[in-house]
Formats: sequence, C-alpha cells, structure tokens
Amino acid sequence: MSAFGLLNPTGAIALTLLIALIALHLWQRPRRTIPVATLFLWARLPTAPSERRRFRPTALFWLRLAAAAMLIAGLVRPYVEREAAPLDTRSLLLVLDVSASMQTREPGGSRFELARQRAADTLAALGPNDTVMVVTADDHAHVLERWTSDHTRARRRLETVGPLDTPTNLTPALTLALAEAEARPATRVVVLTDVPPAETGIAPDALATVDYVQIGATDDNVAIASVTVDVPPFRDAAPTSATVVVRNYSARSHRVVLGAHIDGETWGWRTLTLEPHAAEHVTLVDPPRDGVLVLELDAQDALAVDNRAVAWISRGAPLDLLVVSDSRTLTATFAEVVAAIVGSKVEIMGREEYERARPAGRRVALFDGFVPAHVPPAVNALYVAPPPGSPVCPSAEILGEAAVIDWIDHPTLAGLRDLQAIVTDRTSRLGTPAWGSTIVHAAAHGQSFPFLVAGQRGSRRLACLAGDLAGPLASSDRLPLLMLTLSVLRWLTEPYAGAPRVIETGAAALAGPGPRGPVAGPDQGTGLAVIGDPPVFLARRAGVYRVGPPGGARRVLANFVDDRESDIGRYEATTRLAETPMAPSRAPVKPREIGWWLYLLGAGLLIAEWATWRRLGGET
Amino acid sequence: MSRLEELLDLDVLRHYDRLALHVRRGMGDRPGDRRFPGHPHTSGTEVESYVSYTPGDDVRHLDWNALGRLDTLLVRRFTAEREVPIHLLIDCSASMSLPARDGKYARAIELAMALGYLGLSSNDAVRAVLLTAQGPRASRVLRQRPGAVALAQLLGEATAEGALDLGSALAEYASSRSAPGVIIVLSDFMAEVPAIEPGVAALRSRNHDVHLIQIVGQGELDPTRDFASGVLRDVESGATHAVQLTPASLASYASLLEEHFAALTRLATATGASYLRVTSDVAAADIVTGDLARLGLVRRR
Repeated sequence: MSAFGLLNPTGAIALTLLIALIALHLWQRPRRTIPVATLFLWARLPTAPSERRRFRPTALFWLRLAAAAMLIAGLVRPYVEREAAPLDTRSLLLVLDVSASMQTREPGGSRFELARQRAADTLAALGPNDTVMVVTADDHAHVLERWTSDHTRARRRLETVGPLDTPTNLTPALTLALAEAEARPATRVVVLTDVPPAETGIAPDALATVDYVQIGATDDNVAIASVTVDVPPFRDAAPTSATVVVRNYSARSHRVVLGAHIDGETWGWRTLTLEPHAAEHVTLVDPPRDGVLVLELDAQDALAVDNRAVAWISRGAPLDLLVVSDSRTLTATFAEVVAAIVGSKVEIMGREEYERARPAGRRVALFDGFVPAHVPPAVNALYVAPPPGSPVCPSAEILGEAAVIDWIDHPTLAGLRDLQAIVTDRTSRLGTPAWGSTIVHAAAHGQSFPFLVAGQRGSRRLACLAGDLAGPLASSDRLPLLMLTLSVLRWLTEPYAGAPRVIETGAAALAGPGPRGPVAGPDQGTGLAVIGDPPVFLARRAGVYRVGPPGGARRVLANFVDDRESDIGRYEATTRLAETPMAPSRAPVKPREIGWWLYLLGAGLLIAEWATWRRLGGET
Repeated sequence: MSRLEELLDLDVLRHYDRLALHVRRGMGDRPGDRRFPGHPHTSGTEVESYVSYTPGDDVRHLDWNALGRLDTLLVRRFTAEREVPIHLLIDCSASMSLPARDGKYARAIELAMALGYLGLSSNDAVRAVLLTAQGPRASRVLRQRPGAVALAQLLGEATAEGALDLGSALAEYASSRSAPGVIIVLSDFMAEVPAIEPGVAALRSRNHDVHLIQIVGQGELDPTRDFASGVLRDVESGATHAVQLTPASLASYASLLEEHFAALTRLATATGASYLRVTSDVAAADIVTGDLARLGLVRRR
C-alpha cells in the first residue's frame, strides 16, 4: 500500500495554463502557415474553410501539453509514501520478577528458576538479528540488560541474577516495558512473575499487549509476620519483651518450631500448631542479655526467607537529665516524671544559674526557650522552642498554634504513633540545620516547617523541638507532646555506639551519621546499599550487616517482613499471551518527493517538442 | 566537417574513379579524349575514312600507298576526338530548400559534385552554373581532376533562396552558350511544365545533350508527414492556399503530382532530353551508381 499526496497543492492553480495552451492551439491553428516548395499543385485543390476551429491536436500540441502537465505536476510537489515493509528483526523485552516470593520452591525448582528457564527458552527462539532487553522487578525496576542483539550476553546476565528478599512492585517495571514497547512497535513484552495480573497495578487493556506468564501454584508457607521488641525506656534489658507473630498462609495446618537466640544464646523455643490461614502471637520475656535477637522458624515450607527475623534487644540507660528552664511548671513536670523512673535523676536549674556555672559530666540536657552559647561536649542536648537567631537551631520566628502533620521513621520516634495529635500553642518556626534532618513536620498559618530536628554534631546528639513545653504536660491533650519529648530524651540518652539500625528490606531508611562503608553481611555485603545524600540504607537481603571499618562498624539489621509477599498462594500457573499483538515493526516512512522527476520528464518533453519543431521545419 | 570538405571527401569521390559519363552528343570544339564516330576529322589517331585530296589539305595525311596503286590522291580522315563541355545547371531557388527535413538542395549539390567529378575524371570540360534569382552564376570551365576543388568551392558557397523561373533561366543559358555540350539540370522541377518547356526546348535547339534530373522530397510525396492542415505558402511567390488534408484531398494531390511527373516525362520525350526522378532520401552515390547508370548517363570506364 502506498499513499500519494501533494506538498504544494496551491501549485495546481497552474493547471489553468493547460487551458491557455489549448486556447492558444485553437487560436493558432487556422493561422498556421506551412511553407512549401510550390503551390501550383495545391492550388488546384479546393481551399479548406479556415473558420473551422475544431480541436484537432497535433503531435506538437500533445508534446507541449505533456511538457506543461509535467512541469505543473512538478510544481505541486507530489510525493509517494510507501508503507514500509515489516522489518525482519524483532525485539523482546523480558520482565523478570526477582522479589522474595520468587524464592518459593515449586515442583521442578524455585519460581525464579522456572521463570529464568522460560526466559532462556524465549531467548533461544529469537532470530540472530533480534534484540532483547531484560528488566528485573522487585520493589523497583532495574534494567539488567539494555537492548542488545547479543543473546549470549543476555543469557549470561540472566544467570547472574537471583531473587532478592524484597517485596514485589511490578508497576515500575511494567510501565518501563510498555513505554519501551510503544517506542519500538515490534517489541514483544514477556512478563515472568508469580503476581496475578490483577495485582500489577497496570490497566488490563495495557496488559493485554504483553505475554503474561504467571508462575507458581503452591501456598505452603508459614512466616514470621512481625516482630515487636518492647524495651521500657531508661531501663536495662530485663523488662524487655519480644512479640512475634507467626502466620500460616497455606490451606493446611502446620506444626512449626520457633527459636529465639540473642547473640547465639538461646532465649527460648516455642512449638506452634497453626491452623490454615491462622496466626499465633508468641511473646518472649526476660531476655538473657541485650544484643541481636535472631528468630528462626522451623517450618519446612516452600518459602524460607520469611522464616527468619532479627531484632535488637537494647539495654536501656537510666535518665540523667539536666533541665534548664525558667518555667516552674515545666521543671515541676519533669521532676515528677523523672521521679517515676527507677534509677533516673534530674537536675533543674534556671537559665542564669546555668550560665554562671555549667555542670559537667555525661548527661542529657534540656534547654527550654534558649540556646546556650556553649555546651560541654559530653552533653546531648534537646533545645525546646529555641528563639530566633540561634546558630544551633535556626529559627525564623515564633508562631502561634501549630499542629504536627507528618513524620518519618526514625529512632527518636520509636514506639510512637499518631503524632498528628500534637498541637502546640507557641511554636518556633524551625529551619533544618546542616547537622541534622527533619523528623517531624508541623504546619501553621498555611505553611509547613520542621517541628523536630535531630542529628549528630561532633561527638554528641542534638535535637531541636519547635513546640513550647510550657503548661501542664500531664494533661491528656498535652500528653502526646510529653511522650514525644521523652522519646527524644531516650534517643539522646541511649549510647550511640553499638546501637544497630533495624530496617526492612526494600524500604529506604535514613542512615544517619556514621560510616558508610565497607559493608559486610549477606551476599558479601552487597545485600545492603548505603546510598544518597543524606545517606539511606537500602537492604535487598535480610540479615545482619556491619557497616564501617572493623572496630568502628555499626550494625544494620534487615528484616524481610511483608505479609503480602509471604502470601504465596497462586493456585494455578497460567500463561496468557498478548490479546492485542504488537504492530509489526516497519522502517521509518519518509515521503518520497517525485517533483524533480516530473521536472526532468517535462524538460525531456520540451526537448522532444523542440526537436519535432525543428524536424517540421520550424513551423507547426 | 565543412561543406567544402564534405564535397571533397576522397572516400566518397573514390567510388567515382571507375565511372565515367556516357555522352552521345554534345561534342565540343576542342580536342579531347572522347571519340565521336561519324564526324571525320583531318587529324586524329584513328583513321575513319578517306576523301579526295583538295588543295589545302595537309599533305602529311596523303595515303601514299593508295596513290601508288590507284594513282589517286586520297587523304586520310580520322575519328573526331573532342572534349565534351558538361554544364551542370543547379536550381538554387528557394523551393529546393523545402521540405527542410528532406534536404533536396543538399542532395542536388552532392549530385552536381559527383557528376562534375566524373566529367573532370574523363578530361571533359565542366562548368557548374548556379541558377539563382539574381541570374546564373557560372564557374569557369574546369578541366582535369584538380578542377574539382574549384567546383566544390562554388557548390559549397551556394544557397537555395529566392524565386526562380526555371524555364526562362534555362532559355537564357541556352542563348548564351551556342557550342553544344551536355546539359544536366538538377532541379525539383516544381513548376508548371509549360513554364519549363521553353527552357528545355531552347537547350535542345542548341544541340545540347539535355538531362533533366528531378529531385523531390518525401514530404512532397507524402504531405501528411509534415502537416494535416494549414495555410500553405509558396516559398518563392508567397502565395497562400489553405489546405486540409483529407483522404479526398490527398488523393487529388497524389493524382496531380503523378500528372506533373508524367508531364515532365512527356516534355523530355518530346524534346529528346532524358528525365530521371530521384528522391532526396537516397544517397548521391547510390543515385550515381544506380539510377543514373540505368538511365545510361553513367557507365564504367
């Protein structure tokens, strides 16, 4: 099929010249004079009526007409647009699910091995000129191999990849694949996953253009669904408890054994009988020591990655608090609170008194409404409602009522939730200092600002709280603010060294101050990445990591706890081919203008007309 | 290649070296290589007859043997050996240039050159005469092959233009040349035969051996080749006539043309001239070796 068009349709106006040519021919014809050698023979013939103007074209007329027509046709710049033939090459885009559920063991191998085999088979069916691209999908999309016709290289790359300990989010990878397919019309997209199409987050009509291979059928999985370690603040490890939820995702009952160990020392064993789709809560108390808690489930199920979890059992430090405030209400409140905490103590002094004789020693100080010019290095400090102009806690102005609107996951907020209940009457509009990051956001007068900033400056921890603590904190409406303050104080109290970060795989968590490498742990440390600015931890393998040089490393405990991912039941493995096949790839169509050929033909006809005219003796 | 070079092309002229003009009349006055039996002459190389001695005869030609046997004075008479004046009359009127694509005039010039070369090769006296509207333009009498250059120069400079009354021109030339010779007229003869007849008759009355060679173009034989209708204009007189070529008019034209050719044939027969019609699309060499040989004007040496 080919299309025909005109680039200069207005040039067709010149067609009127053809009419003029015909008129000229008719006008000239009776006047045409033909010289002859002699007339005496012709004179004996009857004279032809000269008034007759019947159109009687001659060869010259046809030549002139054809030449003019060709030149006019060239003027309108016609073009031919031929539909390009389908290209011989095809493109294959493989989307391979590498999430944790792909570790599930099925008859014949793991889901990932089955998917990789399908991918290899699909690769083997490609022609030598076909191109392939491989995208892996866990909680993010990763381009494993860009478009290449080197199938061996793509196959080798497939061999190097394996399933991770992260949740599944196919949406980014499928969006990427569909965009690539749209850019390359002949692309066949093959998705290899254990996620049903309805859970991909992609519209069904878009998924209709891809070959969707859903792998896996078993639901035989028991998992540690969650681990919660409750450590009372400002206390040692003894009153700590750990609550473990073990869930049976299969349709049959399971008898499992849960073991808990802290740094290799057994904390306890529990034998559980789990009914189909049932969960059991196991509470462990009185830990033998503080340290890394490792929970292991002996379940003999299809997915092992969720049978292990780690947590941190910390030893709480007693609160040694210095409250520097001129507010009697505030100092009285803290005196009461600290008196209620066993082993804790508080020293209260006014601002002027603090300026005169700064108390030494390692402790936590709370500065209410002011920021002292000098704080001893061993003191971790919380600045409450810092005034404007402070270099430590930059504050622009004092606002009126403000409410907390957002917060991030940070150790300062451990155990706290529903912070949106915090409302303050008098609030400093904080900025974010270079030494810290914003933990809690508040809003007032239609604008948001940091409400709690925490970080490390030098060798000590600092925090800035925008809300004014004046007034009775023990009242019910002020209690969330008091709990936030105590939580920050706990963070300031706990020893920095040796406190591991507990994170979840696939989710970025602020790394905070400290070394960023090298990383030792699962997969030679590659299971944890310390990336970005500010740095974040991003774990793709569950386990215990050490980040930093020997002797100064900090520990990161990465858990894979994802209820949706552990629910591996798919009931059937299906392959659904694309309902809407991709259009065959065609070479770019470029209009081919033929105007110049017509000009050339017109010129040739003009030459022929001239030659004919000469042959006829210069007369028509 | 210039016109002169074309006319003097040795590759072409070489074809004529073994040919000669065959003439039966037109014996000239000057001695030459051609023998004219029946015209005894007092000198020569071949004894033709004897006559009685009369005072004044050259005693060197007395036949002394006859005097001894017969006691009669007899004088030898020899076969006349004369040159033949060959007059090449070329019609240079404008009608020779039409139809342009037929090249009638060019063919006439080539034929004139060929015939002149044949005459020069036979040691005849050749004179080329261009019959133009301004009057005849004649070359000097040319003899021997080197005269071909002068002949070619004259022919090469000639152009076909202007109006010419062929009959009057021939008559005028006849009146200016009393000595007999061979007259070869190269023309299209596209004029009324009665207008040509006086000229041919005048030539014949001077005892010239007259040969009429008519050169016509294919466009004249088949006018549909060049036009279907239009106003025909006589290139010499300027007269016009509107014509539309229909089957009927073409048939009438063909009939008139044949009648014209027949009239020319009758003219030649009546005046004792020879007549040959050739078309311009035939090469001059082919005309010389074909048509003119069949006519008897050209033969092998």
